[in-house]
Amino acid sequence: MQATAQINSKSYTNTLANLFFKFFALNFNNRPSLKQYLKGDDGWLNFTFGIKTESGSMEQAMRFENGKVMVLKNIPSQMDAQLIFADENAVKEAATKPPNRLMLALMENRIVMHGNLGYLQLINFYLSLLLKQIHVAKLKKETKMENRDYNASAAAKNSIDSRKLRQIKAASIDPGIRCLPEPYLSEYSLHDFPRLKDFLDIHLKTRPAICHERAEILTRWYRENGFETDKNGQPWVAELRQAQAFKYLMENRKPIIRKNDLIAGTNTTKEIGVIIYPDAHGTMIWGELLTAPYRPLNPYDVTDETVDVLHNRVFPFWLHRNFRQWVREKKDYPLCQKLDERFAACFLWKTVALSHTILNYPEILKIGTKGIIVKIDREMGETPGSEKQKLDSFLAMKITLEGINAYAKNLSVEAARLAKQETDPCRKDELIRLADICRRVPENPCVTLDEAVNAMWIIWVGVHMENTNAGFSLGRLDQWLQPYFLADMEKLAGEEEKRQYIKHAIELIGCFYMRCTDHLPLIPDIGNYLFGGSSSDQAITLGGVTPDGEDAVNDMTYIFLKVTEMLSIRDPNVNARYNKGKNSESYLKRLCEVNLNTTATPSIHNDEAVMASLAEFNYPAQHLRDWSATGCVEPTLSGRHIGHTNCMMFNMVAALEMALNNGWHPLMRWNVGPKTGDIEAGDFQDYESFFNAFAAQLCFLADQTCGYNNLLGEAHQVLRPTPFISALIEGPMKSGRDVTKGGALYNSSGTACIGLADITDSLMIIKKFVFEEKKVSFQELRKAVNTNFKNDPALLALIKNKAQLFGSGDPEALATANRVAKLAHDCFGEHTNYRGGKYTAGFWSMSNHVAFGTLTGALPSGRLAGKAFTPGLTPEPHASKSILDNIRDVAGLDPKSMNNNIAFNVKVVPAANETHQRIVDNIYSYVKTYCDLGGMQMQLNVVSSKTLRDAMEHPENYQNLLVRISGYNAYFVTLNRDMQMELIERAEFGI
Amino acid sequence: MKIPFILEIKGNSLDDGPGIRSVVFYKGCPLSCVWCHNPESKKAVAEISFDAKLCIDCGVCREVCPEKALDRNNCFYIDRRKCTLCYLCVDSCPSGALDRVGKAMTVNDIMQKILPDKPFFETSGGGVTLSGGEPTLFMEFTSRLLQSLKQHNIHTLLETCGYFDMDMFMDMLYPHLDAIYFDIKIIDSVAHKKYCGRSNDKILDNFSRITRKAKKDNKVLFPRIPLVPDMTDTEANMKAIAMFLKSVDVTEASLLAYNPLWHEKSDKIGVDDPYKKSKAMTSFGDKPVLEKCKTILMEAGISEINS
Repeated sequence: MQATAQINSKSYTNTLANLFFKFFALNFNNRPSLKQYLKGDDGWLNFTFGIKTESGSMEQAMRFENGKVMVLKNIPSQMDAQLIFADENAVKEAATKPPNRLMLALMENRIVMHGNLGYLQLINFYLSLLLKQIHVAKLKKETKMENRDYNASAAAKNSIDSRKLRQIKAASIDPGIRCLPEPYLSEYSLHDFPRLKDFLDIHLKTRPAICHERAEILTRWYRENGFETDKNGQPWVAELRQAQAFKYLMENRKPIIRKNDLIAGTNTTKEIGVIIYPDAHGTMIWGELLTAPYRPLNPYDVTDETVDVLHNRVFPFWLHRNFRQWVREKKDYPLCQKLDERFAACFLWKTVALSHTILNYPEILKIGTKGIIVKIDREMGETPGSEKQKLDSFLAMKITLEGINAYAKNLSVEAARLAKQETDPCRKDELIRLADICRRVPENPCVTLDEAVNAMWIIWVGVHMENTNAGFSLGRLDQWLQPYFLADMEKLAGEEEKRQYIKHAIELIGCFYMRCTDHLPLIPDIGNYLFGGSSSDQAITLGGVTPDGEDAVNDMTYIFLKVTEMLSIRDPNVNARYNKGKNSESYLKRLCEVNLNTTATPSIHNDEAVMASLAEFNYPAQHLRDWSATGCVEPTLSGRHIGHTNCMMFNMVAALEMALNNGWHPLMRWNVGPKTGDIEAGDFQDYESFFNAFAAQLCFLADQTCGYNNLLGEAHQVLRPTPFISALIEGPMKSGRDVTKGGALYNSSGTACIGLADITDSLMIIKKFVFEEKKVSFQELRKAVNTNFKNDPALLALIKNKAQLFGSGDPEALATANRVAKLAHDCFGEHTNYRGGKYTAGFWSMSNHVAFGTLTGALPSGRLAGKAFTPGLTPEPHASKSILDNIRDVAGLDPKSMNNNIAFNVKVVPAANETHQRIVDNIYSYVKTYCDLGGMQMQLNVVSSKTLRDAMEHPENYQNLLVRISGYNAYFVTLNRDMQMELIERAEFGI
Repeated sequence: MKIPFILEIKGNSLDDGPGIRSVVFYKGCPLSCVWCHNPESKKAVAEISFDAKLCIDCGVCREVCPEKALDRNNCFYIDRRKCTLCYLCVDSCPSGALDRVGKAMTVNDIMQKILPDKPFFETSGGGVTLSGGEPTLFMEFTSRLLQSLKQHNIHTLLETCGYFDMDMFMDMLYPHLDAIYFDIKIIDSVAHKKYCGRSNDKILDNFSRITRKAKKDNKVLFPRIPLVPDMTDTEANMKAIAMFLKSVDVTEASLLAYNPLWHEKSDKIGVDDPYKKSKAMTSFGDKPVLEKCKTILMEAGISEINS
């Protein structure tokens, strides 16, 4: 009886879905060209997959078993993955829209995913095998519609040739300058460096390709030597397993020297490669392997060989061996994980990486891996045999260093081989020198700048071979390279010789920047909407003070700034520390000028405020003064701190929506939060009681996300401890513990709390309009919010015009912003992470202010449903006509609540008839005053909305137009439409 | 003491003197130039404005107006003959389309608005500019404001049309000013009276006298010449201005390109100015005209500088 009722309630869509599943099964069961994909090198891919609607009007499933596909009437309880559609329209959309939209629908919660994401990707891959022609045609159409199908080569050339820079000269010479006659290096331009111009051209025109090398070699090793247990069936010590595999990878990967490069080694086998990390989120690209070359945003090339290798040899091995899945299986699919996989409240970067740190590069350059191995040996000698875990960790570290040395040796051999073939005598000399350099470093101490830069790079490649490419940062390169620069200069006598050497140093650093563009993070198409246009976010930090507190600006600082200006590329992400007590006016002016000339970089940090924000940790002054920006803007104590400063993107506005709805989240259609009061029932008598409800929801979400981060941290400890990084950071050598297990000297986890301005403005409306001035009842306001103000234009106008906004110079709004920031800080600050460190709160947003905005309804602040939040903690565009109000309010936020830094975006447009000097002076005045007033960080986009609109229409004319999103840089033309509009709609101030 | 209405205190101005400045716009002017860039600043008395672009037509204002002075069919919306300036409509307007023109402010009120921006003045070498309208119309008030600014060590600049009582100016304002931007519009006295409402004798005389004094005291004094199509930008006028400046030993002047944005502002206060309709007055000043004027001045030995 029950069964009949169920069948009757099924819909026409159900019949269609059933027909489609049968069609799918028929094809895969009978066509050998498809059937072959039902297995990988390890055998048949057996799993069950189902789809249904929330109401149950449709339900279908398929079982894949030993090369057969069977269609099932119902989803069995033991299924591997299922999709739950919000309603039948969502099913229709999924069936008719381009394949990349499926992930978007998941993000928008039109579809909810349950189970192992890897199998969903495998199903997507099967669908694209079956429907490739249709999918490709749809994607091509979309690309054309969005004007993204232009000639990249011509666009690259055009953008390089048309770039003209104006430059002033330094008015004074900083005390730390030893060699540069004119610190701004105004006599040089890109045209003096044909090599760099070529590299830049390649960078701007080359489509990235997926590189399977790392994934393939590592998987080969694990299949041979076991993952959970070794060849003899004994459980692996994870550190030793990782170390052996890493060493094997470094010994066997192809040593490549890019044509004409001064730096040896690459992260991938491609000109620009996307590294695959199947132990993290690598399988996310499975479903797109066939269509990625055609997607409108940031397409990837994928060779047939790569499809074959990844599908057959790599991905099946990792279906259950990745961080997400480990938590799902070992921790019983906890609520916090389900919350993360609904996208609207948070995004846990820990599912992808435990990155965002800075190694102890000065030590590596100074004593070489050889010196570090000597230290390890000494520690091992002094450790009693009973402390096996410690000994194993030490041994693992040592093995990885042997691995990196082997790679360097292979590069040396390759350089020598190329030198032999080379006919151009200049290049021959360079290759001979490279062979010599790679023979010596990073194993031995570096002597020259060329050695130091090459050693840095080889280590940098090692970092990316061990751990996911996501925000690993380079640190204070000006400080750490200056000794080698000076040592080289000292050997030179003649003026012309010195001049030539300075030019060489600029070119060498330029090559280093361009090397940093050889790899990109894997962005499945959903990432184009979540993190559009982001590259690896390799932060470099310049200036500030030395560990002893003295002015740190030196020759290399200005050389880096020159290179930053000439190349104007998105990555590395250049950050500059400005210490108003120690650094010169001339240095700050130069930062402003580079920002003007590049339109978007460097981001400028008020050194003293950033250090003040970390006061609660009582770090020793010498260590604190050695901080560097990581990923976007976040502070890490260089060389001794695992701060995973971007462990999560946290949508604070979700807490507000849940407080407005008594724990219910509208977009997720989920009663997930605590019951904190019902507006309709009149539960809130005053503003304070509502603020408390908001605070309770925020703490609930913070509990959940910290909980998930900690579980994922455990997954990292089991699946991917990182002995290579552990060997190169201060701490593990003493503690004998891997950094994933808290071995570093300092530990913390950093969050990015998003929506501060939107929340502040909303709370101000509730406080003033509802409770104090009684302009509107809470019920009316909630109703207007729930209906996107459709029936309340007058209320919306009133809110937009008469509200007291953050960034308008209103002291009450500023106090509210400070209160919310402190609340977030305290909610996270009370949690301890799996490495024994504290959670920190940052107020920057990468690009998630756009993505989270898409996933959020209208707000009391009058922000309409789906619109982007403001970037970082930037005030609303209509907060004030005067940029000074914005600057003063942001500077008025208490750094102590913002211990993972902030991103304050300002868009300025120079007047057409203004002199270059005056524009620089004006920017300087803003930045200087902001720092004087205690602001932490500031980043300027120097571009008009008009230009941005034109770039949307004619991307072919703006291939290298650099914009700062929130913390990171991107090329405007690579952004999705929502992000482009968000940039256009930002407040624009004439200067 | 006569208290002015203040139209606006504009922060972050980069065009009204050196560095980053706050500009205090007064309401009320002794002249009434037909091209006035801030037509709402002409009258010293209270006014009401309506911005059609902001109006969402919710109708709330029509309900509260006791005089029934508001009408959608009126192109200025407000019937200013009926309006008693009770401002009930302004207070009820959610969108800000209806607004008061100018606000009575004390010196202290103005200082409270300005002081938060002082750090920006300091890093940029900026300060405060008094503009309008005509600040010299309120000598005592302006004098107190300037003294207050100087007490806070803030750089002061006056933009003036030059029509004021010289003795009072010298006594009450001049000592507290760091710089003066002085408009020189038309030399021909008849034309000046026609377009600006008053003869220019006093203005030119004032300029000559201040020039001599400012030179001695090392204060900045710039003549500024607004270029208005067919009124000030004629060859004859430029030559005459050059000659006048030479005669008082001034060798620099700045030219202000014409901009027609005042038309909209004039609509907002319900003024139907006949000059709005002239074709030359509706477009932005073009570069050739600016260049031509510059050349005339140059040939006469006056160099153009950006003020």
